[in-house]
Amino acid sequence: MEPLLTIDQVTRRFGGNVAVSGVSFSVMKGDITGLIGPNGAGKTTLFNCMTGYISLDAGTIIFEGRRINGKRPDQMCRLGMVRTWQRVKPLGKLSVLENVMIGAFVTTASPKVAGKASLEQLQAVGLDRYADQPAGTLPIGLKKKLELARVMATRPKMVLLDEICGGLNHAETESVLDIVRMLRKRGVTILFIEHDMKAVTSICDRIVVLSSGEKLAEGTPEEITSHPAVIEAYLGGGYHAQG
Amino acid sequence: MLIIQSLVSGLLTGGVYALAGIGMSLVFGVMNVSNFAHGDLMMLGMYLAYFAFTLLHIDPYLSLVLILPVSFLFGFLLEKLFVSRVIHHPHQNQILLTVGLGLIMSNSALLAFTSDPRILTTTYSSSSVMIFSDVSVSVPLLLSFLVTCAITALLYLFLARTRTGMALRATSQNREAAQLMGIDVSKMSAITFGIGTGLAAAAGALIAPVYYIHPMAGHNFLLKAFTVCVLGGLGSVPGATLGGLIIGVVEAFSATWISTDWKDVVVFMLFLAVLLFRPQGLFGKRGGE
Amino acid sequence: MKKILIPISLLLLALFLPELVGRNPYFTGIMINVLMMASLASAWNIPGGYAGQFSFGHAAYFGAGAYTTLILLSGNPIDPLLALLAGVVTASLIALITGSIVFRLRGHYFALASIAVAEIVRLSVLNLQFTGGAQGILLSDLTFHGIDLNSKIPFYYGMLMILVLSMGTTAYIQSSRMGYYLQAIREDQDAAASLGINVALYKNRALLVSAALSSVTGSLYGLYIRFIDPGAVLDLRLSIEIILTAIIGGVGTIWGPVLGAILLVPLAELLRSNVIGDTLISMGIVSDVSPVGHFFKEGLAHAHVLVYGVITVVCILFMPQGVLGITRRRK
Repeated sequence: MEPLLTIDQVTRRFGGNVAVSGVSFSVMKGDITGLIGPNGAGKTTLFNCMTGYISLDAGTIIFEGRRINGKRPDQMCRLGMVRTWQRVKPLGKLSVLENVMIGAFVTTASPKVAGKASLEQLQAVGLDRYADQPAGTLPIGLKKKLELARVMATRPKMVLLDEICGGLNHAETESVLDIVRMLRKRGVTILFIEHDMKAVTSICDRIVVLSSGEKLAEGTPEEITSHPAVIEAYLGGGYHAQG
Repeated sequence: MLIIQSLVSGLLTGGVYALAGIGMSLVFGVMNVSNFAHGDLMMLGMYLAYFAFTLLHIDPYLSLVLILPVSFLFGFLLEKLFVSRVIHHPHQNQILLTVGLGLIMSNSALLAFTSDPRILTTTYSSSSVMIFSDVSVSVPLLLSFLVTCAITALLYLFLARTRTGMALRATSQNREAAQLMGIDVSKMSAITFGIGTGLAAAAGALIAPVYYIHPMAGHNFLLKAFTVCVLGGLGSVPGATLGGLIIGVVEAFSATWISTDWKDVVVFMLFLAVLLFRPQGLFGKRGGE
Repeated sequence: MKKILIPISLLLLALFLPELVGRNPYFTGIMINVLMMASLASAWNIPGGYAGQFSFGHAAYFGAGAYTTLILLSGNPIDPLLALLAGVVTASLIALITGSIVFRLRGHYFALASIAVAEIVRLSVLNLQFTGGAQGILLSDLTFHGIDLNSKIPFYYGMLMILVLSMGTTAYIQSSRMGYYLQAIREDQDAAASLGINVALYKNRALLVSAALSSVTGSLYGLYIRFIDPGAVLDLRLSIEIILTAIIGGVGTIWGPVLGAILLVPLAELLRSNVIGDTLISMGIVSDVSPVGHFFKEGLAHAHVLVYGVITVVCILFMPQGVLGITRRRK
């Protein structure tokens, strides 16, 4: 297997704080990779660096063998790397279908073609009966699905999901994870941010753990759940309180 | 000596710009609202000082004791009645609402006071004092500057030492967190808009003795106040203070060495240059990009 | 079918309107103003209503068209159409400079920078020699392919053509990818960028189209009125009137700006022309010499901007989507 995305020694500071410090790892083609860590570990910052929303202070990002740091978010998207948002960003006044069409316009300039493709994506995630509703009026669970449909419409090679299950109940989480599995079946590589470890272990092929801006561990879900440093990072407060 | 002469008069005028800019920056910081009525509020301050002088025979600098509380109350009410209703709207709506309020103020003034410019002439209006043997300083400008310093100092004290001042700064830092901490942010907004209005009116009153007073005067001040805020960093009070002084000096220098006709153009060019090279301003938080 | 029928019947009505009012110069003049404001508000609406980029300096593009055309035509025997195109070039340059400075930024900055650029343009025109300074520019004679330009009628049809062009451009953009992209930018820039939209590029395109249309409107206005000065064509107040026209009608729609102009221009004319005051006085309701009568006769002429202010505040507080927004969901 070959890596689709490699990040190498990525560092990002905010003022005096180092949010991400020398992090390196690779995402293999076709895998679901989890990026986990406690709140404040630097996951979202790393995501923002990888998708062009904030600049790097050091390091390189390689996608399909090409160095892509310094590219704008829209260029990243057109290269095939698309993200979702932890705090969902529906285009509120546009309809659900139009939201997905915005994504589909990466592949075509024709509203007719984009509309047709988008309807198919909506059917795939089960949102087709909301097609004409303004996206801002959807409940949170459906907004998350809309984000996925929108991302799928761009025909990505890789998607970066930022806490896609955050704020969802058990049933909603399951149906979102079903969509993620479907994405993988279509051959899309997935990088998955989550701070709740349980949600990702079941679905990920590999997991990278961040803590305080540094990479703490990397491996299969089994390796990670039994890794002492990871247990320490996640349950550290509890251990100290008991000890 | 021309340099020192320009520098001194630039700093003195800049003080008043700073006062106007601080008011606007405070409103921006706490409420995240660009107040396009700010210049017209200054214009109202000019007329207040004018009428306090001509009708009540109160010295324009002393009349601040009246103008500050009256305009604070006016701003407080404006916020409660109008601005608070759009505080969660897109910023375009906030801008348009304040544009509308500004149009109402300036055109009411036009109807009430006609478009004839008025001049506030005190006994010391045209007197000046000499410093460094050959630099002359206009007395009204000097008085304006001193009063400005006093008001700014009081404002800094208020923000640093009082409970309300600290709550204002907290709201400015992070509105949501401030609300969670139990700060009544809607009250803070009204107080801030009151202070912003008070500072605008005070700046207007302070500049009244050296400026033509007319209903459309606000337009020019609005743009100056924006330039001051953007230069200092939107939302930053120390930034606006420094920004005001810089704009005053730039204006005085360009009036001396280029021409009075082009001084405003130079100021607006500076504004665009700041947006191009340092959009967060001298002291601003990042996030303009 | 209904969708095409209404615009076509409105266009037919517009074509015969001068004949319907018996070629009355006064009414033709008002109708030219309606068409002009409708076309300016339509042009403003492309970046403003669709992409959410509120320009507060559109007078600069209008004025750039008017000034470039009149400067070129005074003393030079060139085709007015060429002078009009030169105006488009000037306005586009101003738009490009503005856009490249501020479109990397967001939120309040574009609004502020658009005013600053417009003020730089106004002050430069005011202080330069070849622009005529505060005196403005007077165009003494004008010929155009044998059309009688002393009548207002040709300008009525000229403005109508420009309005149709502005609305057609808007309709074309709305139905194409660009229209969707602009609306996505208006709703959320970060989300738009993550979905492959080059945000700065599309904002610049929208502003460029808008500036070009505004400039053509300005050129024709200059030819029609034949005398321009900075106060008339470059003032901030004009920029604000353009925004209000679009807002009151309904932004982000094809017909909103037209509706706004139909509502606002006659209202302003009514206030400006003392019709109300004269009527009240001639009917004996108020006396000519009383303060109230004096206010209606003299004061009201200045009150139309005050009324604009009141309408804006009411509009933002109670119907931020404009008149059309109340009846429509979309399209």
